[in-house]
Amino acid sequence: MTTTRYLILEDGTSYEGKAFGSLATTSGEIVVNSTMNGYQEIITNQVYHNQIIVFTQSSIGNTGLDQNSYESVQPTAKGVVVREYENLATDHFKRISLDKYLKQHNIPGIYDIDTRQLRHHLQKVGNMKASIVDVDDEHAFDQLTATVLTNQQVAQVSTPKPYANPNDGDNVVVIDFGLKFGVLRELSKRKCNVTVVPYDTSSERILDLDPDGIVLSTGPGNPNDIKPGVLEMIRNVQSEVPLIAFGLGHELFAIANGAKLNPLFIEHHGSNHPIREIITNELLFADQEQGYQIDFKSVDHSKLFITYLDLINGSIQGLRHRDYPAVSFQFSPDGSPGPKDRDDIFDDFIETMATRRRQAYGF
Amino acid sequence: MDSNINKVLLLGSGPTQLGIENELDASAFEKLMALKKMGIKVIFINDNPFSVVSEEIQPANVYYQEINFENVKRLIEKEKPNAILPTVSGLNGLQVTWQLIDSGVLERNHVQILGISKDNIAKIINDNNLNDLLSEINEPIISSKIVNDYEEAFDFVRGIGFPVIVKPISPNRDTSRKLCSNGEELQAALEYSFSRTYVNQCLIEQSIVGLKEIEMVGVRDVVGNKILVSGLEDMDPIGIHSADSIIFAPTQTLVSQEYQRLRSATFKIMDALNLNGTCHVQFAQSRTDDKYYVTKVSPFFTRNTMLASKATGYPISYISGFLELGILLTEIKLPERFGNSLAIMEPTLDHTVVKIPLWPFEDVPDADRHLNTTIKSVGSVIGIGRSVEEAIIKAMHSSQYSPRDILPTAQKMDEDSLIRQLIHPLENRMLILIEALRRGFSIDELSELTKIDQFYFYKINQLLKIQEYVKNHPLCSEAVKIGHKYGFGDGMLAELWNTDIMSIRKINQDNGFRVTYKEVEPSAGEFIEKTNIFYSSYELENESSPFNSKSALVIGRGGNQLGPNTASDYYTTQVLIELHKLGFKTIIMNTNPNAVSLVPHLSNKQYIEPIQLGNILNIVEIEKPEYVFLPGNRHYLTKQLRKFKNLKVIILPPDQEKTSFNKNKANTAVDLFIDGNNILPITTTTLDTANNKNSLKYITNYYQPMKQHTKYGNYLIDKSISMLKNSDYQGLIQVLFDYDSLTDQFEFIGFRPIRITETAFLSKITGVNWVRVLVKKNVGNVDFNRLEKMVKPDHYLRVANMISQFPFNQLRANQHAGSTQQEVGARLEFKNIN
Repeated sequence: MTTTRYLILEDGTSYEGKAFGSLATTSGEIVVNSTMNGYQEIITNQVYHNQIIVFTQSSIGNTGLDQNSYESVQPTAKGVVVREYENLATDHFKRISLDKYLKQHNIPGIYDIDTRQLRHHLQKVGNMKASIVDVDDEHAFDQLTATVLTNQQVAQVSTPKPYANPNDGDNVVVIDFGLKFGVLRELSKRKCNVTVVPYDTSSERILDLDPDGIVLSTGPGNPNDIKPGVLEMIRNVQSEVPLIAFGLGHELFAIANGAKLNPLFIEHHGSNHPIREIITNELLFADQEQGYQIDFKSVDHSKLFITYLDLINGSIQGLRHRDYPAVSFQFSPDGSPGPKDRDDIFDDFIETMATRRRQAYGF
Repeated sequence: MDSNINKVLLLGSGPTQLGIENELDASAFEKLMALKKMGIKVIFINDNPFSVVSEEIQPANVYYQEINFENVKRLIEKEKPNAILPTVSGLNGLQVTWQLIDSGVLERNHVQILGISKDNIAKIINDNNLNDLLSEINEPIISSKIVNDYEEAFDFVRGIGFPVIVKPISPNRDTSRKLCSNGEELQAALEYSFSRTYVNQCLIEQSIVGLKEIEMVGVRDVVGNKILVSGLEDMDPIGIHSADSIIFAPTQTLVSQEYQRLRSATFKIMDALNLNGTCHVQFAQSRTDDKYYVTKVSPFFTRNTMLASKATGYPISYISGFLELGILLTEIKLPERFGNSLAIMEPTLDHTVVKIPLWPFEDVPDADRHLNTTIKSVGSVIGIGRSVEEAIIKAMHSSQYSPRDILPTAQKMDEDSLIRQLIHPLENRMLILIEALRRGFSIDELSELTKIDQFYFYKINQLLKIQEYVKNHPLCSEAVKIGHKYGFGDGMLAELWNTDIMSIRKINQDNGFRVTYKEVEPSAGEFIEKTNIFYSSYELENESSPFNSKSALVIGRGGNQLGPNTASDYYTTQVLIELHKLGFKTIIMNTNPNAVSLVPHLSNKQYIEPIQLGNILNIVEIEKPEYVFLPGNRHYLTKQLRKFKNLKVIILPPDQEKTSFNKNKANTAVDLFIDGNNILPITTTTLDTANNKNSLKYITNYYQPMKQHTKYGNYLIDKSISMLKNSDYQGLIQVLFDYDSLTDQFEFIGFRPIRITETAFLSKITGVNWVRVLVKKNVGNVDFNRLEKMVKPDHYLRVANMISQFPFNQLRANQHAGSTQQEVGARLEFKNIN
């Protein structure tokens, strides 16, 4: 028999729904994702640390979870809200059903929610906290109001120790702010010899690894909350080796180079916004997991070029350093999930590393 | 945009047939809107008398001629257009365009082709060229080879692996195909096939039967910006024509990586073809590994392009109209009601759409009902829901397997036949799937037999459980609530419980169960897009509110079926246009994705809902329209709606029940319009049948004026007027006569309201839109004097001829002369009187 549960919002709104996954009581920031395929990649993306994910896709779970689509080992999302879920594991990658997976990882889900109304509501009221609870009484709302969400998300999801993903190509160090596996897959495909290091690793230790290139990964939370040492590290390494940054990494790269970041009224998670590459005027689509945007006026044009723009909300989607081979992207070109319209960004990175090596060593 | 383009030749759809419904006309309509907006003059050629587009263009610029090389060539030489637009004319349009390129006609007349380059048209109409192109860009295609002997055959199959299909190469279109899964079968198939070929060659082809069929629809602009509008997933596997498949949007059982691979492949193909406009690509996706094959590329408007458009609310045809002119995606300005960025956002859905085909086997009983690679469906309906179940139930109810039983049974069928039909499906396959689940076949087993993804069986099973629960809890409020959630409308619940719909509505009222309407729009609620396309659900938020000014609800005809077929939709469209002119906000309700009446420009609001009493009453409740228009012959619905005395229901054509005949045989008719006491003769017509029986049922050939008009025209007209003078007939009335050439006498047969198809014919040939006149008569005033001046049934310069078309060849049915019930479409021609 299905259990009735409630999704309650900080502004006092309550939605009655039915439980699936874990029956834990949970709180987090509520965000909406409008990508149609790839619920597995979304739920397992560390960018959703401490967040409750609302899917606009009306039915998720139609295919089971497969071994090739995890974006982390341990998902850290706080909840899943959907109109309808299907507890199937039917396709050829058959591994595990959504309900079972969420139970295993203690993530509560709630379905039978008018997610379209919920989205309309959130578009109006903006980002806020929410809980999935058994009873939507005053106590539950008090608890929600009193809940203080951590601002140490990166520290909680970053790897505590370095680890290697060996291969016989370029030597790449990935700084883990909440790394999603899509980036590792793209690097593996290009035979990169990867070392993943904790987010607060010093620039000396990173450069000691003798990297051909450095990746600043995506990750959760507010970029303004990051330890100052991280920005220092970015400034130190960007002048030494080719650097590429995504998502939170891009935001930190911008801050490290003098830009300011402001929160969006409502976070944007989806792959439906056209992104324009300024130099070519081409449009592309890619997964965007964005809660903050760079203040246009704060960009120091003597240091940074703006390379990509979101044509819907006007936000900066890409930067390039004028002096160093360093580039950053707000979006995720790795296509897990979402389109792979610009996965050649990784090829460019490999090419940059090669050019650099030729310049430095002549081969 | 190329500013030299100011006159475009638009190729129409030609007559409706299996495979071409009114989606091309609907699409042409949207193109016309785009071209008009750019100030371009349009020349249109189409011999389909039920085209809506041909009435939206200056009569002097419309050519009612067959779309073939000779006619189009003559037209180009006469009209000297700068450009030709062949993308809403199906494959025929591209073929004609190719002939025009090949013969140098386009070059000589300086006509450019919009949307696709001339080199690439050759690639599309020739499979070999297309396969070369696909191989060049490393897109996988089905391997095939013509072999001369056994050794060559076995070598080839060793390379590609089993299963394969073997066909003899033979000039007389031998259609025997043998599927082989191992060497032994291959040996046998080769023996068989080599014995049936004179040229001693066989074709061996990799078999992809049973794979998942996935379709992608995208748009691209001239500099290469691309948007994937929608993915579509066929429930039925490869081996059943996509038009005969049940289709879901968005895709249901693809994981992200699979989906993105096909999306990227679609983009690569559009780039390789260097096209600007829309493209529809079909794929076969393996169920056991990552492999896929490109099976079909259509860089023109297709029915499933229309489905993608209806599923997302993204106006593909309108937008591609601009793209074809060379305007960029970022430059397109959409009508105000859309958000600014709609054209450049990749649609994302928060609902599910299901398309179920309709087949003509009841009307053509001797056709083979097996579903295979030849198209057999005549129309289709869609259901939209917030859940997959809801969408399935709505579509099934609209497709009317049985008006009473929502999930029908086939209890009498024996087990062997059931299994045979699971493997070799007929058009009633949904019924068979349901029955098999009822009998306890396991989902694994069913999926294995049918090659249908398990997901769909889970969903159907869920619906069976819900129906069982609802059935066993009659008039219980919880059952109503659950029923609503899964798409069981009030009318269906009433049917299930064998009760009156009002008692269900009472339960709704007592429990506060309110229907909510959700908008079909492409941003999944991120932006407020006023597409004004709605479907129902039972949730929290209702997004549809009534108009501030007077409105009228027009009830569309639903899926296309033999008989009046697309003429019904033409009729509906004209009602909408006229009501709009008369100052009404117009609301259309329809389930036919291909209907012109669902073109967004033609109404103020659209409801995609089953055309059933409960759904109509719900819409009436929210919209409070002044009138409810019911075009077409729909006696059951008419009867149901007339019970509601507070509704002003207008049935068109009127007076259908007043038909009266002395005999069932006629060959001559006088058409008249009656408004109050005024009687206006419109024309005389000769009625003809293909089997020379002249029985009313078989009249499918019309000449206007009648053959002996000069001699007897006025005589018959006067006679008709005097007979109608004191009758209570109103509107468009036909007086039927039977002429006996032996006695040279006309026998009076009877009166009837002018049929839908003939009304369209009359409008095309008289220049007066008679549907609109009828609407005016019902809700406004007819300017009879003006009408009288426009219609002069005495001097004719040309003879108009409407010839009905039948689907017998396409269905390989052994029949030649068809009845009006079996019409699939018609052709219209004019001949000058010398």
